[in-house]
Amino acid sequence: MNNSLSEILSELKADFRNSADLTIRDFTLKSKNNIKAALITIEGMCDKEQLAQSAINPIMSYDFGALDGEEAADKALSSVLASSDVTVFYTKAELITFITSGFAALLIDGAEKMFAIGVQGYSFRGVAEPESEVVQRGSREGFTEPLRVNMSLIRRRVKNPDLVFEQATVGSGSRTQLMLCYLQSRVSQKLLIKLRKRLKECDLDTVLASGYLSEYLEDKSSSRLFSGVGISERPDTVCGKLTEGRIAIIVDGSPAVIIVPRLFVEEFQGVDDYSNRTYYAAFIRVTKYLSFFLAVYLPGLYVALAQFHPEYFPTTILIKTSESLAQTPLPVTLEVLAITFVYEIMKEAGLRIPKSLGHAVSIVGALVIGESAVNAGIISSSTLMVVATAAICGYVTSPLYPPVTMLRFIYIIIGGIFGLWGIVLATAVMIISMCSKTSLGVPYMSSLAPFSLRTMRDVFVRADWKTLSKRIIRVQRFAETEVDE
Amino acid sequence: MSSKLRFSSKRFLLTLMLCACSVILLQNYDLSPNASFTFNLICVASGLAICFVLFIPAIIIKSRTNLDFLTVAAVKTPRLKIPIAVFYSVYFIFTAEFFLLPYTDMFRKKYYYDVTPCLIAALLLITCVYAAIKGVNVITRFGIFLFAFAMLTNILMFGGSLGQMDFSLNTFELTGGFPDYIRNTLYFVTPAFIAVLFACLSGKTKNFRIRQTVFALIFTGVKYALVLFFIWFALGAYAQRQEYQTFLLSRAAHFSSFGGIESFYLALATMSVFMIISLMLCAVTKSVKRESDLKTVIIFVVILFAAHACGTYLNSVKEILTNTTVFVIFTAIAAAVIPSAYIFAGRKSNARKALHNITMS
Repeated sequence: MNNSLSEILSELKADFRNSADLTIRDFTLKSKNNIKAALITIEGMCDKEQLAQSAINPIMSYDFGALDGEEAADKALSSVLASSDVTVFYTKAELITFITSGFAALLIDGAEKMFAIGVQGYSFRGVAEPESEVVQRGSREGFTEPLRVNMSLIRRRVKNPDLVFEQATVGSGSRTQLMLCYLQSRVSQKLLIKLRKRLKECDLDTVLASGYLSEYLEDKSSSRLFSGVGISERPDTVCGKLTEGRIAIIVDGSPAVIIVPRLFVEEFQGVDDYSNRTYYAAFIRVTKYLSFFLAVYLPGLYVALAQFHPEYFPTTILIKTSESLAQTPLPVTLEVLAITFVYEIMKEAGLRIPKSLGHAVSIVGALVIGESAVNAGIISSSTLMVVATAAICGYVTSPLYPPVTMLRFIYIIIGGIFGLWGIVLATAVMIISMCSKTSLGVPYMSSLAPFSLRTMRDVFVRADWKTLSKRIIRVQRFAETEVDE
Repeated sequence: MSSKLRFSSKRFLLTLMLCACSVILLQNYDLSPNASFTFNLICVASGLAICFVLFIPAIIIKSRTNLDFLTVAAVKTPRLKIPIAVFYSVYFIFTAEFFLLPYTDMFRKKYYYDVTPCLIAALLLITCVYAAIKGVNVITRFGIFLFAFAMLTNILMFGGSLGQMDFSLNTFELTGGFPDYIRNTLYFVTPAFIAVLFACLSGKTKNFRIRQTVFALIFTGVKYALVLFFIWFALGAYAQRQEYQTFLLSRAAHFSSFGGIESFYLALATMSVFMIISLMLCAVTKSVKRESDLKTVIIFVVILFAAHACGTYLNSVKEILTNTTVFVIFTAIAAAVIPSAYIFAGRKSNARKALHNITMS
């Protein structure tokens, strides 16, 4: 602080455009030199009681004698301030960052240094079970919005000095704080450098959620259909990923923590897999893969078979399907497309409407779109069954829902135009696209392609803990990564 | 996707093995009708032994330099760069047509009777452009999935044919003459095109071992033997004088009332041809440029499409493009004669020095 206190305060007021929530408590220290001081906070972001106890009361009651401003500041830091969290800083930019993060800033006239006192006390949502990642036998804790609370949730699980939180800021306008979190001995330094570079290149003005950063973390030449950036709201999941050499990014104000690199096989792994019996975990895994396959292909294959190759249906099914389809006015492709589209509309409506109306929409959906439409002969029952099965299967691997939905539409259209052949060709293109994708230099399809027998123990089946614990998998050790050591 | 990363030689040879196996998928009964099953097995063994011989120059180049043949040729004889590029470009286009023409023909005759073969070829080639741009490494990763799918299809095809086996119509007797031997062996030399692909595309592979080649050829032989066995004893006389016997085998295979295994065959054949043509496009761009780029790939795809259109509508062109003898001779020159010339003749000290430098870098 090179300028006088009054100058700094007037500059600050000007910067904040005299905003009503900027609170400046200026006072005079008990001293022979009548040193002026000020405590700056943002209304509603500090715990007033804690502030009074740790800063206002001690500093106003202490006698600084004949000390000048600089000496008084040193004294305040060493003997007066009764807070465990005091940070010294020197610039106005830091001052703004601290007070907007809920700290109280203590400025003493004539002192170069300023103090940020950790008395954050804003209201926030408590730690609760994340609705999108419900587990049967795992922890019920989920991340919440404040950065520090989320850091503590990770630290409580990994009581290891190897765990590093590295602070960074993104968004030139919002100046959102984020923390890179990793295990120093397990992370690849190349990966870390790459990630820091990507975050530095992020030219966003405002970052309000972790999802904003996802696109900046994706590899440039990679296909964007599947995401190479993982998201989790569960501290136990994040801790598990950290042990494999991954990096977590906690964004202030967002309960969704980013995990990079992300691999395709991870979409089928769940926390429960590691709590359940091995055979049951393996069964669930296989079910998930099968569900993914059905969610993507079932409507497309149904259209292709019904339109081009009805002879492939077993006779009884063929007769029933033909009868059902013959009574409907639309061709099978349009019918499947229409029902799938209506289903997506209903899903969106169900997500957005107030909970009290949810039941009403469900009833309307089930009766009008379902039973009544079939009875009226507008849609066939077999088509409805196929679309409904695919829709349910899509939720089994919920992180994959966006690509699965898009692929489902693509395969319906291709199956309707080119039949099975078109679906095969589109599949080839999809596999090529997935195989060429990388997540921060790690092949997205690692374990499968490039194939690695060593890492297959946690892909289709989950090996027992004795086998899993023998050698911990690290992302930089996958074949053909650009971040190997 | 150009990458400096080297990829596994084992995976590359697995991909090439799948390419070699696809020859039998599109089999159009070029085998002599006088030859028995056992006689054909001998022909398979002889054919694949010749394939291995044709592989030797590529293996020597790879083992000595850890580079592909095209790079070695460009360094050793810079003046011959253009003739070499032209020869291999023509070869790869010819080979791509050798597979594309029977594929579209089979497709039209067996699946969609009213479809234009050129439309099928055009769509297939467009998708191959995408794969070729991504590069050999990505195609070999695709090969892993194709391998798994090929295993599934073969299990269904052979398992579904077990109920129809009849050993009374055919025997294991050794019947067939020398002309039959030559004709059938020639047919089983066709997988040797993988030796040319290996020679031209193995530059970025690592950990190459000769046994990988031997295993690839043995697996190909086993696959051929199994397909022949089931065609002989499950289809029997019905297969004689018919086209696309492997397709017929898949159509006849069934489990109780569940059939439709030919849809798996269609998928496998489509993906195999897709992979072969994509590799050919990679190889053809490599022969004229070091790294594949969209413009070069598109030019060659247009040439391929034009050749396919000529082959579809002009019978004489089709006969040349799908002639096994011409193909085998062409392959022998590309796989053995030219690379051998570089092994034995190109021993000038400055060329060796340049090669040494590039190998070290």
